[in-house]
Amino acid sequence: MPFGYHGRYLRIDVSRGVGEYVPLDEMVLRQYLGGSGLGVRLLLDEGAPGFDPLSPEAPIVFAFSPLVGSPLTTSAKFAVVSKSPLTERINDSLASSGFAVAGKRCGCDALMIVGRAPELSVVIIDDGDVRLESAVEHRGATCRETESALRSRLGANFRIASIGPAGENLVRYATVSHDGRHAGRGGSGAVLGSKDIKAIALRGTQTTEWAHPRELTELSRSLSKRSFGPATAKYRELGTATNLLTFNRFGALPTRNFQSGSFEEAASLSPEQLTATRSKTRDSCVACTIGCEHIYSLGDGGVRVEYESLFALGSLCGVGDADAVLRASKRCDELGLDTISAGGTIAFAMECVERGWLDEAWLRFGSGDVLLRAIELIGSREGIGNLLAEGSRRAAYAIGHGSIAIAPQVKGLEIPGYEPRALQTMALGFAVGARGADHNRSGAYEVDFSDKVDRRHVTLDAVRHAIETEDKAALMDSLIMCKFLRGVFTDFYAESAEMLRDVTGWDVSADELRETARRIVSARRQFNLLAGWTPAEDTLPERFLNTPLPNDPAASLNRERLDDLVAEYHRQRGHSGAHDAE
Amino acid sequence: MQVEFFGVPRERAGVSELELQADTLGQMLNALAAKVPSLGPFIGGEGRDLRLHSSFIASLNGDRFVSDPGTPLGQNDRVLILSADAGG
Repeated sequence: MPFGYHGRYLRIDVSRGVGEYVPLDEMVLRQYLGGSGLGVRLLLDEGAPGFDPLSPEAPIVFAFSPLVGSPLTTSAKFAVVSKSPLTERINDSLASSGFAVAGKRCGCDALMIVGRAPELSVVIIDDGDVRLESAVEHRGATCRETESALRSRLGANFRIASIGPAGENLVRYATVSHDGRHAGRGGSGAVLGSKDIKAIALRGTQTTEWAHPRELTELSRSLSKRSFGPATAKYRELGTATNLLTFNRFGALPTRNFQSGSFEEAASLSPEQLTATRSKTRDSCVACTIGCEHIYSLGDGGVRVEYESLFALGSLCGVGDADAVLRASKRCDELGLDTISAGGTIAFAMECVERGWLDEAWLRFGSGDVLLRAIELIGSREGIGNLLAEGSRRAAYAIGHGSIAIAPQVKGLEIPGYEPRALQTMALGFAVGARGADHNRSGAYEVDFSDKVDRRHVTLDAVRHAIETEDKAALMDSLIMCKFLRGVFTDFYAESAEMLRDVTGWDVSADELRETARRIVSARRQFNLLAGWTPAEDTLPERFLNTPLPNDPAASLNRERLDDLVAEYHRQRGHSGAHDAE
Repeated sequence: MQVEFFGVPRERAGVSELELQADTLGQMLNALAAKVPSLGPFIGGEGRDLRLHSSFIASLNGDRFVSDPGTPLGQNDRVLILSADAGG
């Protein structure tokens, strides 16, 4: 077995409360690395595409990586991979911190959970020994309450991933939370909830060796030093929230359910304004030298502020009251809700009310109180919350009136904070994304914010750039490294190969990693093909294809052009039909 | 012409926008380095070949991103300077 790996995963059947180590072939590890790549490979082997994602037999994988536990900055990450209950397609969401390190120290490269526990339970993995304990007393507890209670009960050296009330109630975009951070998108919290698993608590002592420790230490120092430089200054000094005013200026800030690309109250939500009126602290994930987390004071505590939460709960819902948006973000964290899908679904419902398609007169754009009420109802699935907990696509089909045309989703996943008409390479990335509308598996917005394309009139030349960002993301999510590091690399593939050589001892090259990235993208597509994907899914809602942006008529996209871009994407990927994946 | 700053460039400049006289992007950067010394480290090159540091990018009127120092600028143009990394 190579260095950096244990060469096995821990398969836990919570129906029986038992776990067993399953060997992993070295070739599989070399081909899929870890994180998202290894996760999807294990799901394919388990037959996951064919299962109802909320059924007992549906597996959910927590995949670590060869770099976890190494001194490389930002490497303490794990991927949660399953079939999404929101999209019915592949879902992989990543989170950072001590859970990854402790999980790998349980002597495995991944955890797989199948089955359904006899009652609400916590899975305890103590250095590889598995047992279930009742978590009934924690029913309804927030993610943070659950972590705190379980640490008191089990010991402070346990690391805990948990779901909130939203996961228990099978909200289709519930998160898995660890240490205040979330594997956020696609509803992995609902998958755990369907198994009656409130939390996973683990600790371990089993470490892996590094092939070339001296070289790895030198490389880690170099990378850390560079991570303090200008390429990460944005994240370190202002956080992702700084996108808000920038995107607003470019007419790319989704507003009132994508009815506009600019928000008149954007300044009140900007970090510049938030900092002027609130105290702020910074935090970082374990083993991270960037420190992108900006935590603003709010009542008796603080709230992590990210651009995606500000946009989804702010401009998208027409709410400019910063206090209300921060409270809404914090409440989503407590309930275990993906802020993007929560905001997207609420904003969609608000527009349906505006158009007279939904009889919930209180649910109007612009009110912080309304936003908070809607979030509570979703978390508990009470009243209209039961419909909104299904996400905007399912809600649209229930509401009717052709509202699917304005449901802000692709493959069921709500669109993040990048207006597709103003950022058209990103529009392509959204349309073809295996996970749905996704800014983490495609970094195509980077192309739009460059001189490589005309962002409002992209041509087929943009496709190769979009593919490059998708491949790079697949590799970063499988190694696993934080994407906020991407600007520090001179040659990403060559430096990644160097990392992997120092950790594993494999004689791996940049070219091999390019091939690995493509293989992982292909595996995710294979999952979707087996789950029933059809070409018609690779598109955007009608709104984006027949209505120019009111604030910027030049930002116009039509079906023919998008279809051409999608076709060219599949041509360059070598996809010839419905059964073409490896 | 006006120069608008966003994100880290705004932090460094200490203002959200300012007015400069320049006929080309290179001239604008030269004037900017002189007027706002704190941005100096982010403007490299010499003479007419001044360029922004790779962590910053410039957009002409929000319509297209520009880097060629010879890019002509008009009196009514607005140059937007922002962090190169748009991720979030």
